[in-house]
Amino acid sequence: MRQLNLSGTLTILLVLAVWEAAIRSGLVTYEYLPAPSAILVASWTLLRSGELAAQTLHTIGAVLLGWAIASVVGLSLGLALGYSRTVRTYLEASLELLRPLPGIAFLPVALLIFNFSLSTELAVMIFASVWPVLINTMGGIMSVATRLHDVARTLRLTPARTVTRLLIPAAAPSIIVGCRLGLGTALVMAIIAEMLGNPHGLGYAVVSELQAMQPERMFVYVLAIGFLALALNAALVAASRLMLRNRG
Amino acid sequence: MTSPRLLAGLPRLRGVLPLLLLLILWQVTAPARSPYFPPPSTWWTSFEAMSRSGRLYPALASTVLTFAAGLAIACLAGAVLGMLIGTSRAAKRALEPLLEFCRGLPPPVIVPVAVLLLGYAESLKLLVVVWVAMWPILLNVAAAAERVDPLLHDVARSFRLGALASLKKITLPSIVPPLMIGVRVAVPLAIIITLLVEMITMLPGIGSLIVTAQRNFRSADVYALLVLVGLVGFVLNSLFVIVEDLLLRRFPPRMHKLQ
Repeated sequence: MRQLNLSGTLTILLVLAVWEAAIRSGLVTYEYLPAPSAILVASWTLLRSGELAAQTLHTIGAVLLGWAIASVVGLSLGLALGYSRTVRTYLEASLELLRPLPGIAFLPVALLIFNFSLSTELAVMIFASVWPVLINTMGGIMSVATRLHDVARTLRLTPARTVTRLLIPAAAPSIIVGCRLGLGTALVMAIIAEMLGNPHGLGYAVVSELQAMQPERMFVYVLAIGFLALALNAALVAASRLMLRNRG
Repeated sequence: MTSPRLLAGLPRLRGVLPLLLLLILWQVTAPARSPYFPPPSTWWTSFEAMSRSGRLYPALASTVLTFAAGLAIACLAGAVLGMLIGTSRAAKRALEPLLEFCRGLPPPVIVPVAVLLLGYAESLKLLVVVWVAMWPILLNVAAAAERVDPLLHDVARSFRLGALASLKKITLPSIVPPLMIGVRVAVPLAIIITLLVEMITMLPGIGSLIVTAQRNFRSADVYALLVLVGLVGFVLNSLFVIVEDLLLRRFPPRMHKLQ
Protein backbone atom coordinates (compact mmCIF):
# COMPACT_ATOMS: atom_id res chain seq x y z
CA MET A 1 0.00 0.00 0.00
CA ARG A 2 1.16 3.47 -0.78
CA GLN A 3 1.13 5.75 2.18
CA LEU A 4 -0.97 8.89 2.21
CA ASN A 5 0.77 11.90 0.72
CA LEU A 6 -0.06 14.39 3.47
CA SER A 7 1.42 17.54 1.92
CA GLY A 8 -0.18 16.66 -1.40
CA THR A 9 -3.61 16.32 0.17
CA LEU A 10 -3.10 19.57 2.06
CA THR A 11 -2.22 21.38 -1.17
CA ILE A 12 -5.46 20.27 -2.79
CA LEU A 13 -7.45 21.31 0.29
CA LEU A 14 -5.63 24.64 0.32
CA VAL A 15 -6.42 25.29 -3.34
CA LEU A 16 -10.08 24.50 -2.69
CA ALA A 17 -10.13 26.74 0.40
CA VAL A 18 -8.55 29.68 -1.44
CA TRP A 19 -10.98 29.17 -4.33
CA GLU A 20 -13.94 29.15 -1.93
CA ALA A 21 -12.68 32.17 0.01
CA ALA A 22 -11.96 34.16 -3.13
CA ILE A 23 -15.54 33.78 -4.31
CA ARG A 24 -17.19 34.19 -0.90
CA SER A 25 -15.28 37.37 -0.17
CA GLY A 26 -16.13 38.78 -3.56
CA LEU A 27 -12.45 39.04 -4.42
CA VAL A 28 -13.14 37.18 -7.62
CA THR A 29 -16.41 38.17 -9.18
CA TYR A 30 -16.45 35.78 -12.06
CA GLU A 31 -20.01 35.26 -13.04
CA TYR A 32 -19.49 31.72 -14.22
CA LEU A 33 -16.99 30.36 -11.72
CA PRO A 34 -18.90 28.51 -9.01
CA ALA A 35 -17.46 28.04 -5.52
CA PRO A 36 -16.44 24.49 -4.52
CA SER A 37 -19.28 24.41 -2.02
CA ALA A 38 -21.78 25.19 -4.78
CA ILE A 39 -20.31 22.37 -6.87
CA LEU A 40 -20.68 20.04 -3.90
CA VAL A 41 -24.33 20.96 -3.51
CA ALA A 42 -24.93 20.47 -7.23
CA SER A 43 -23.26 17.07 -7.17
CA TRP A 44 -25.53 15.99 -4.32
CA THR A 45 -28.58 17.06 -6.36
CA LEU A 46 -27.35 15.24 -9.44
CA LEU A 47 -26.52 12.14 -7.41
CA ARG A 48 -29.97 12.04 -5.85
CA SER A 49 -31.79 12.57 -9.12
CA GLY A 50 -29.80 9.72 -10.67
CA GLU A 51 -28.66 11.86 -13.61
CA LEU A 52 -25.00 11.59 -12.70
CA ALA A 53 -25.19 7.81 -12.42
CA ALA A 54 -27.07 7.45 -15.70
CA GLN A 55 -24.63 9.59 -17.69
CA THR A 56 -21.62 7.90 -16.07
CA LEU A 57 -22.99 4.46 -16.82
CA HIS A 58 -23.55 5.35 -20.46
CA THR A 59 -19.97 6.57 -20.83
CA ILE A 60 -18.48 3.58 -19.00
CA GLY A 61 -20.54 1.18 -21.10
CA ALA A 62 -19.61 2.86 -24.37
CA VAL A 63 -15.92 3.05 -23.43
CA LEU A 64 -15.72 -0.60 -22.41
CA LEU A 65 -17.58 -1.77 -25.50
CA GLY A 66 -15.50 0.35 -27.88
CA TRP A 67 -12.31 -0.60 -26.12
CA ALA A 68 -13.14 -4.31 -26.25
CA ILE A 69 -13.84 -4.17 -29.99
CA ALA A 70 -10.72 -2.07 -30.63
CA SER A 71 -8.61 -4.48 -28.58
CA VAL A 72 -9.86 -7.54 -30.47
CA VAL A 73 -9.32 -5.84 -33.85
CA GLY A 74 -5.93 -4.44 -32.81
CA LEU A 75 -4.81 -7.75 -31.34
CA SER A 76 -5.80 -9.76 -34.44
CA LEU A 77 -4.23 -7.29 -36.86
CA GLY A 78 -1.14 -6.97 -34.67
CA LEU A 79 -0.77 -10.75 -34.49
CA ALA A 80 -1.11 -11.14 -38.25
CA LEU A 81 1.36 -8.32 -38.89
CA GLY A 82 3.83 -9.52 -36.31
CA TYR A 83 3.65 -13.17 -37.33
CA SER A 84 3.67 -13.04 -41.09
CA ARG A 85 6.15 -11.17 -43.19
CA THR A 86 3.81 -11.36 -46.17
CA VAL A 87 1.03 -9.57 -44.31
CA ARG A 88 3.53 -6.92 -43.23
CA THR A 89 4.74 -6.39 -46.78
CA TYR A 90 1.26 -5.91 -48.14
CA LEU A 91 -0.40 -4.04 -45.31
CA GLU A 92 2.04 -2.12 -43.15
CA ALA A 93 2.45 0.92 -45.41
CA SER A 94 -1.31 1.30 -45.80
CA LEU A 95 -1.76 1.29 -42.05
CA GLU A 96 1.14 3.71 -41.63
CA LEU A 97 -0.70 6.12 -43.90
CA LEU A 98 -3.94 5.84 -41.93
CA ARG A 99 -2.41 5.95 -38.46
CA PRO A 100 -1.44 9.64 -38.22
CA LEU A 101 -5.01 10.63 -39.14
CA PRO A 102 -6.28 12.32 -35.97
CA GLY A 103 -9.28 10.33 -34.75
CA ILE A 104 -11.24 13.49 -34.18
CA ALA A 105 -11.15 14.39 -37.88
CA PHE A 106 -12.91 11.10 -38.44
CA LEU A 107 -15.86 12.23 -36.32
CA PRO A 108 -17.63 14.32 -38.99
CA VAL A 109 -17.34 11.38 -41.40
CA ALA A 110 -18.80 9.05 -38.78
CA LEU A 111 -21.59 11.58 -38.24
CA LEU A 112 -22.35 11.61 -41.97
CA ILE A 113 -22.62 7.84 -42.04
CA PHE A 114 -24.14 6.97 -38.64
CA ASN A 115 -25.82 10.24 -37.66
CA PHE A 116 -26.09 11.16 -33.96
CA SER A 117 -25.89 7.70 -32.42
CA LEU A 118 -23.90 5.25 -30.36
CA SER A 119 -22.46 3.87 -33.61
CA THR A 120 -20.80 7.23 -34.26
CA GLU A 121 -19.30 7.18 -30.79
CA LEU A 122 -18.07 3.61 -31.20
CA ALA A 123 -16.68 4.21 -34.69
CA VAL A 124 -14.56 7.15 -33.54
CA MET A 125 -13.40 5.32 -30.44
CA ILE A 126 -12.46 2.19 -32.32
CA PHE A 127 -10.63 4.03 -35.07
CA ALA A 128 -8.48 5.85 -32.53
CA SER A 129 -7.80 3.14 -29.95
CA VAL A 130 -7.02 0.30 -32.36
CA TRP A 131 -3.58 1.80 -33.03
CA PRO A 132 -1.85 1.47 -29.65
CA VAL A 133 -3.05 -2.15 -29.33
CA LEU A 134 -2.01 -2.97 -32.88
CA ILE A 135 1.43 -1.36 -32.68
CA ASN A 136 2.27 -2.86 -29.29
CA THR A 137 1.05 -6.35 -30.25
CA MET A 138 3.01 -6.28 -33.48
CA GLY A 139 6.12 -5.01 -31.73
CA GLY A 140 5.76 -7.57 -28.96
CA ILE A 141 5.35 -10.48 -31.36
CA MET A 142 8.23 -9.38 -33.56
CA SER A 143 10.62 -9.00 -30.65
CA VAL A 144 9.98 -12.54 -29.37
CA ALA A 145 13.38 -14.17 -29.29
CA THR A 146 14.25 -16.40 -32.23
CA ARG A 147 15.11 -18.99 -29.59
CA LEU A 148 11.40 -19.40 -28.92
CA HIS A 149 10.70 -19.94 -32.60
CA ASP A 150 13.31 -22.70 -32.52
CA VAL A 151 11.51 -24.23 -29.55
CA ALA A 152 8.25 -24.16 -31.52
CA ARG A 153 9.93 -25.90 -34.42
CA THR A 154 11.55 -28.52 -32.19
CA LEU A 155 8.23 -29.29 -30.53
CA ARG A 156 6.58 -29.33 -33.97
CA LEU A 157 3.90 -26.94 -32.79
CA THR A 158 1.26 -26.02 -35.36
CA PRO A 159 1.19 -22.31 -36.25
CA ALA A 160 -2.03 -21.87 -34.25
CA ARG A 161 -0.47 -23.41 -31.14
CA THR A 162 2.73 -21.44 -31.66
CA VAL A 163 0.71 -18.26 -31.56
CA THR A 164 -1.51 -19.10 -28.59
CA ARG A 165 0.99 -21.00 -26.45
CA LEU A 166 4.22 -19.24 -27.24
CA LEU A 167 3.95 -15.89 -28.96
CA ILE A 168 0.99 -14.34 -27.12
CA PRO A 169 2.34 -15.22 -23.65
CA ALA A 170 5.79 -13.95 -24.61
CA ALA A 171 4.37 -10.71 -25.97
CA ALA A 172 1.83 -10.30 -23.15
CA PRO A 173 3.56 -7.43 -21.33
CA SER A 174 3.69 -5.33 -24.45
CA ILE A 175 0.12 -6.29 -25.46
CA ILE A 176 -1.13 -5.25 -22.04
CA VAL A 177 0.61 -1.88 -22.32
CA GLY A 178 -1.07 -1.41 -25.70
CA CYS A 179 -4.49 -2.22 -24.24
CA ARG A 180 -3.91 0.23 -21.39
CA LEU A 181 -3.04 3.03 -23.79
CA GLY A 182 -6.04 2.01 -25.86
CA LEU A 183 -8.40 2.44 -22.91
CA GLY A 184 -7.13 5.96 -22.25
CA THR A 185 -7.62 6.84 -25.91
CA ALA A 186 -11.07 5.25 -25.92
CA LEU A 187 -12.17 7.42 -22.99
CA VAL A 188 -10.88 10.61 -24.59
CA MET A 189 -12.57 9.81 -27.88
CA ALA A 190 -15.81 8.81 -26.15
CA ILE A 191 -15.96 12.19 -24.41
CA ILE A 192 -15.26 13.98 -27.70
CA ALA A 193 -17.87 11.93 -29.55
CA GLU A 194 -20.43 12.60 -26.83
CA MET A 195 -19.71 16.32 -26.98
CA LEU A 196 -20.23 16.53 -30.72
CA GLY A 197 -21.80 13.33 -31.98
CA ASN A 198 -23.81 11.18 -29.61
CA PRO A 199 -26.15 13.12 -27.29
CA HIS A 200 -25.67 10.84 -24.29
CA GLY A 201 -23.13 10.36 -21.53
CA LEU A 202 -20.80 12.58 -19.53
CA GLY A 203 -19.35 14.44 -22.51
CA TYR A 204 -22.82 15.43 -23.66
CA ALA A 205 -23.78 16.39 -20.09
CA VAL A 206 -20.83 18.79 -19.83
CA VAL A 207 -21.66 20.55 -23.09
CA SER A 208 -25.40 20.73 -22.46
CA GLU A 209 -24.88 22.18 -18.95
CA LEU A 210 -22.52 24.72 -20.52
CA GLN A 211 -25.19 25.73 -23.00
CA ALA A 212 -27.80 25.82 -20.23
CA MET A 213 -25.48 28.16 -18.28
CA GLN A 214 -25.38 25.85 -15.26
CA PRO A 215 -21.70 26.14 -14.27
CA GLU A 216 -22.08 24.21 -10.99
CA ARG A 217 -23.61 21.23 -12.74
CA MET A 218 -21.05 21.44 -15.52
CA PHE A 219 -18.19 21.27 -13.03
CA VAL A 220 -19.76 18.22 -11.40
CA TYR A 221 -19.64 16.39 -14.72
CA VAL A 222 -16.10 17.65 -15.44
CA LEU A 223 -14.91 16.26 -12.11
CA ALA A 224 -16.82 13.04 -12.70
CA ILE A 225 -14.91 12.58 -15.96
CA GLY A 226 -11.62 13.23 -14.17
CA PHE A 227 -12.38 10.66 -11.48
CA LEU A 228 -13.61 8.18 -14.08
CA ALA A 229 -10.28 8.51 -15.90
CA LEU A 230 -8.35 7.92 -12.67
CA ALA A 231 -10.55 4.95 -11.72
CA LEU A 232 -10.30 3.26 -15.12
CA ASN A 233 -6.54 3.66 -15.14
CA ALA A 234 -6.18 2.35 -11.58
CA ALA A 235 -8.40 -0.64 -12.34
CA LEU A 236 -6.35 -1.46 -15.40
CA VAL A 237 -3.02 -1.13 -13.61
CA ALA A 238 -4.30 -3.52 -10.94
CA ALA A 239 -5.66 -5.95 -13.54
CA SER A 240 -2.46 -6.00 -15.57
CA ARG A 241 -0.39 -6.60 -12.44
CA LEU A 242 -2.62 -9.52 -11.58
CA MET A 243 -2.40 -11.00 -15.09
CA LEU A 244 1.36 -10.69 -15.29
CA ARG A 245 1.79 -12.18 -11.83
CA ASN A 246 -0.38 -15.21 -12.66
CA ARG A 247 1.80 -15.81 -15.65
CA GLY A 248 4.62 -16.48 -13.22
CA MET B 1 23.39 0.70 -59.57
CA THR B 2 19.94 1.86 -58.48
CA SER B 3 18.47 -1.61 -58.30
CA PRO B 4 19.07 -2.37 -54.58
CA ARG B 5 17.45 0.92 -53.63
CA LEU B 6 14.56 0.29 -55.95
CA LEU B 7 14.05 -3.14 -54.45
CA ALA B 8 14.18 -1.70 -50.95
CA GLY B 9 11.48 0.78 -51.90
CA LEU B 10 9.24 -1.86 -53.43
CA PRO B 11 7.85 -3.40 -50.23
CA ARG B 12 6.66 0.03 -49.18
CA LEU B 13 4.87 0.42 -52.51
CA ARG B 14 3.35 -3.03 -52.27
CA GLY B 15 2.17 -2.10 -48.80
CA VAL B 16 0.10 0.78 -50.17
CA LEU B 17 -1.74 -1.61 -52.51
CA PRO B 18 -4.67 -2.43 -50.18
CA LEU B 19 -5.40 1.24 -49.61
CA LEU B 20 -5.10 1.95 -53.32
CA LEU B 21 -7.41 -0.94 -54.22
CA LEU B 22 -9.94 0.26 -51.68
CA LEU B 23 -9.92 3.75 -53.14
CA ILE B 24 -10.23 2.45 -56.71
CA LEU B 25 -13.10 0.15 -55.71
CA TRP B 26 -14.72 3.09 -53.95
CA GLN B 27 -14.31 5.30 -57.02
CA VAL B 28 -15.82 2.68 -59.33
CA THR B 29 -18.73 1.52 -57.19
CA ALA B 30 -19.93 4.62 -55.33
CA PRO B 31 -22.61 6.77 -56.98
CA ALA B 32 -21.24 10.22 -57.81
CA ARG B 33 -23.64 12.03 -55.46
CA SER B 34 -23.57 9.55 -52.58
CA PRO B 35 -24.43 11.33 -49.33
CA TYR B 36 -22.29 8.87 -47.33
CA PHE B 37 -19.47 7.63 -49.54
CA PRO B 38 -18.77 10.15 -52.29
CA PRO B 39 -16.14 8.76 -54.69
CA PRO B 40 -12.57 10.04 -54.21
CA SER B 41 -12.59 12.04 -57.45
CA THR B 42 -15.28 14.30 -55.99
CA TRP B 43 -13.04 14.94 -52.98
CA TRP B 44 -10.54 16.55 -55.29
CA THR B 45 -13.10 18.71 -57.09
CA SER B 46 -14.53 19.92 -53.80
CA PHE B 47 -11.03 20.59 -52.50
CA GLU B 48 -10.38 22.77 -55.54
CA ALA B 49 -13.70 24.54 -55.08
CA MET B 50 -12.90 25.21 -51.42
CA SER B 51 -9.42 26.50 -52.14
CA ARG B 52 -10.82 28.82 -54.82
CA SER B 53 -13.46 30.14 -52.42
CA GLY B 54 -10.65 31.61 -50.30
CA ARG B 55 -11.93 30.25 -47.01
CA LEU B 56 -9.67 27.21 -46.86
CA TYR B 57 -6.22 28.75 -46.52
CA PRO B 58 -7.01 31.29 -43.78
CA ALA B 59 -8.63 28.46 -41.81
CA LEU B 60 -5.62 26.21 -42.37
CA ALA B 61 -3.24 28.99 -41.34
CA SER B 62 -5.25 29.66 -38.19
CA THR B 63 -5.23 25.99 -37.18
CA VAL B 64 -1.53 25.46 -37.84
CA LEU B 65 -0.61 28.72 -36.14
CA THR B 66 -2.62 27.89 -33.02
CA PHE B 67 -1.02 24.46 -32.90
CA ALA B 68 2.53 25.77 -33.34
CA ALA B 69 2.23 28.70 -30.93
CA GLY B 70 0.45 26.53 -28.36
CA LEU B 71 3.12 23.86 -28.54
CA ALA B 72 5.95 26.39 -28.29
CA ILE B 73 4.47 28.08 -25.23
CA ALA B 74 3.74 24.67 -23.69
CA CYS B 75 7.38 23.64 -24.18
CA LEU B 76 8.67 26.77 -22.51
CA ALA B 77 6.17 26.75 -19.64
CA GLY B 78 6.46 22.99 -19.17
CA ALA B 79 10.26 23.12 -19.08
CA VAL B 80 10.44 26.03 -16.63
CA LEU B 81 7.71 24.76 -14.29
CA GLY B 82 9.05 21.22 -14.56
CA MET B 83 12.53 22.40 -13.54
CA LEU B 84 11.15 24.33 -10.57
CA ILE B 85 9.03 21.44 -9.37
CA GLY B 86 11.63 18.77 -10.07
CA THR B 87 14.49 20.45 -8.22
CA SER B 88 12.57 20.73 -4.96
CA ARG B 89 11.54 17.44 -3.44
CA ALA B 90 9.08 19.11 -1.07
CA ALA B 91 7.41 21.05 -3.87
CA LYS B 92 7.13 17.90 -5.95
CA ARG B 93 5.53 15.95 -3.14
CA ALA B 94 3.11 18.75 -2.31
CA LEU B 95 2.02 19.33 -5.90
CA GLU B 96 2.06 15.76 -7.19
CA PRO B 97 -1.58 14.73 -6.54
CA LEU B 98 -2.92 17.98 -7.97
CA LEU B 99 -0.71 17.69 -11.05
CA GLU B 100 -1.62 14.05 -11.54
CA PHE B 101 -5.30 14.94 -11.50
CA CYS B 102 -4.80 17.79 -13.96
CA ARG B 103 -2.84 15.55 -16.27
CA GLY B 104 -5.27 12.66 -15.91
CA LEU B 105 -8.26 14.84 -16.77
CA PRO B 106 -9.16 13.84 -20.34
CA PRO B 107 -8.10 16.84 -22.47
CA PRO B 108 -11.44 17.43 -24.23
CA VAL B 109 -13.05 18.33 -20.88
CA ILE B 110 -10.90 21.44 -20.69
CA VAL B 111 -12.64 22.98 -23.69
CA PRO B 112 -16.07 23.60 -22.09
CA VAL B 113 -14.42 24.82 -18.88
CA ALA B 114 -12.35 27.31 -20.84
CA VAL B 115 -15.38 28.42 -22.86
CA LEU B 116 -17.28 29.00 -19.63
CA LEU B 117 -14.54 31.07 -18.05
CA LEU B 118 -13.22 32.94 -21.08
CA GLY B 119 -16.10 33.08 -23.50
CA TYR B 120 -15.71 32.45 -27.20
CA ALA B 121 -12.52 34.48 -27.60
CA GLU B 122 -9.77 33.79 -30.11
CA SER B 123 -7.26 33.55 -27.22
CA LEU B 124 -9.26 30.62 -25.86
CA LYS B 125 -7.96 28.33 -28.61
CA LEU B 126 -4.36 29.04 -27.73
CA LEU B 127 -4.87 28.72 -23.99
CA VAL B 128 -6.55 25.34 -24.23
CA VAL B 129 -3.82 23.94 -26.47
CA VAL B 130 -1.12 25.21 -24.10
CA TRP B 131 -2.88 23.71 -21.08
CA VAL B 132 -3.25 20.29 -22.69
CA ALA B 133 0.19 20.09 -24.30
CA MET B 134 2.00 21.34 -21.19
CA TRP B 135 1.35 18.39 -18.85
CA PRO B 136 3.32 15.60 -20.53
CA ILE B 137 6.25 18.03 -20.98
CA LEU B 138 6.10 19.36 -17.43
CA LEU B 139 5.92 15.93 -15.81
CA ASN B 140 8.74 14.51 -17.91
CA VAL B 141 11.01 17.45 -17.22
CA ALA B 142 10.17 17.37 -13.50
CA ALA B 143 10.99 13.67 -13.31
CA ALA B 144 14.31 14.23 -15.09
CA ALA B 145 15.24 17.31 -13.06
CA GLU B 146 14.80 15.24 -9.94
CA ARG B 147 17.33 12.71 -11.22
CA VAL B 148 20.04 15.23 -12.15
CA ASP B 149 23.04 14.60 -9.96
CA PRO B 150 23.39 17.56 -7.58
CA LEU B 151 27.13 17.08 -7.95
CA LEU B 152 26.83 18.45 -11.49
CA HIS B 153 25.74 21.80 -10.11
CA ASP B 154 28.66 21.76 -7.67
CA VAL B 155 30.97 21.10 -10.60
CA ALA B 156 29.53 24.10 -12.39
CA ARG B 157 30.14 26.20 -9.30
CA SER B 158 33.71 25.00 -8.84
CA PHE B 159 34.52 25.76 -12.43
CA ARG B 160 32.90 29.17 -11.92
CA LEU B 161 30.69 28.68 -14.96
CA GLY B 162 28.54 31.70 -15.70
CA ALA B 163 24.77 31.41 -15.78
CA LEU B 164 24.78 31.07 -19.56
CA ALA B 165 27.54 28.48 -19.63
CA SER B 166 25.97 26.36 -16.95
CA LEU B 167 22.64 26.57 -18.75
CA LYS B 168 24.34 25.32 -21.90
CA LYS B 169 26.50 22.67 -20.30
CA ILE B 170 24.43 21.36 -17.39
CA THR B 171 20.78 22.32 -17.66
CA LEU B 172 19.99 21.95 -21.35
CA PRO B 173 21.68 18.56 -21.80
CA SER B 174 19.69 17.15 -18.90
CA ILE B 175 16.41 18.80 -19.91
CA VAL B 176 16.24 18.39 -23.68
CA PRO B 177 15.90 14.57 -23.92
CA PRO B 178 12.99 14.32 -21.44
CA LEU B 179 11.47 17.45 -22.96
CA MET B 180 11.44 15.75 -26.35
CA ILE B 181 9.77 12.65 -24.90
CA GLY B 182 7.07 14.92 -23.51
CA VAL B 183 6.72 16.75 -26.81
CA ARG B 184 6.31 13.45 -28.63
CA VAL B 185 3.19 12.84 -26.54
CA ALA B 186 2.09 16.46 -26.80
CA VAL B 187 2.19 16.81 -30.61
CA PRO B 188 -0.73 14.50 -31.49
CA LEU B 189 -2.62 15.76 -28.42
CA ALA B 190 -2.19 19.38 -29.51
CA ILE B 191 -3.43 18.58 -33.03
CA ILE B 192 -6.54 16.84 -31.67
CA ILE B 193 -7.30 19.61 -29.20
CA THR B 194 -6.83 22.40 -31.73
CA LEU B 195 -9.38 20.73 -33.98
CA LEU B 196 -11.73 19.99 -31.09
CA VAL B 197 -11.74 23.58 -29.83
CA GLU B 198 -12.57 24.74 -33.33
CA MET B 199 -15.31 22.15 -33.66
CA ILE B 200 -16.96 23.06 -30.35
CA THR B 201 -16.57 26.83 -30.46
CA MET B 202 -16.79 27.21 -34.26
CA LEU B 203 -13.92 29.69 -34.07
CA PRO B 204 -12.27 29.90 -37.51
CA GLY B 205 -10.09 26.94 -38.45
CA ILE B 206 -10.12 23.58 -40.18
CA GLY B 207 -12.16 22.04 -37.35
CA SER B 208 -15.07 24.42 -37.77
CA LEU B 209 -14.82 24.09 -41.56
CA ILE B 210 -15.26 20.30 -41.27
CA VAL B 211 -18.22 20.61 -38.89
CA THR B 212 -19.91 23.18 -41.14
CA ALA B 213 -19.47 20.90 -44.13
CA GLN B 214 -20.90 17.96 -42.20
CA ARG B 215 -23.89 19.95 -40.92
CA ASN B 216 -24.71 21.01 -44.48
CA PHE B 217 -24.31 17.41 -45.71
CA ARG B 218 -21.53 18.39 -48.12
CA SER B 219 -20.01 14.93 -47.82
CA ALA B 220 -17.31 15.38 -50.47
CA ASP B 221 -16.06 18.45 -48.57
CA VAL B 222 -15.92 16.42 -45.36
CA TYR B 223 -13.78 13.72 -46.96
CA ALA B 224 -11.54 16.26 -48.66
CA LEU B 225 -10.94 18.04 -45.34
CA LEU B 226 -10.33 14.69 -43.62
CA VAL B 227 -7.55 13.94 -46.10
CA LEU B 228 -6.19 17.45 -45.65
CA VAL B 229 -6.13 17.03 -41.86
CA GLY B 230 -4.35 13.70 -42.33
CA LEU B 231 -1.73 15.35 -44.54
CA VAL B 232 -1.24 18.26 -42.14
CA GLY B 233 -0.88 15.82 -39.24
CA PHE B 234 1.63 13.82 -41.24
CA VAL B 235 3.69 16.90 -42.13
CA LEU B 236 3.66 18.24 -38.56
CA ASN B 237 4.70 14.85 -37.19
CA SER B 238 7.53 14.56 -39.74
CA LEU B 239 8.72 18.07 -38.89
CA PHE B 240 8.76 17.10 -35.24
CA VAL B 241 10.83 13.99 -35.98
CA ILE B 242 13.40 16.14 -37.83
CA VAL B 243 13.62 18.66 -34.99
CA GLU B 244 13.87 15.84 -32.45
CA ASP B 245 16.69 14.24 -34.43
CA LEU B 246 18.63 17.50 -34.59
CA LEU B 247 18.18 18.28 -30.91
CA LEU B 248 19.00 14.79 -29.71
CA ARG B 249 22.16 14.78 -31.79
CA ARG B 250 23.17 18.03 -30.10
CA PHE B 251 22.03 16.89 -26.62
CA PRO B 252 22.23 13.10 -26.57
CA PRO B 253 20.26 11.33 -23.83
CA ARG B 254 22.53 9.90 -21.17
CA MET B 255 22.69 8.75 -17.61
CA HIS B 256 22.75 11.74 -15.34
CA LYS B 257 25.30 10.28 -12.98
CA LEU B 258 28.94 11.19 -12.75
CA GLN B 259 31.12 8.16 -13.06
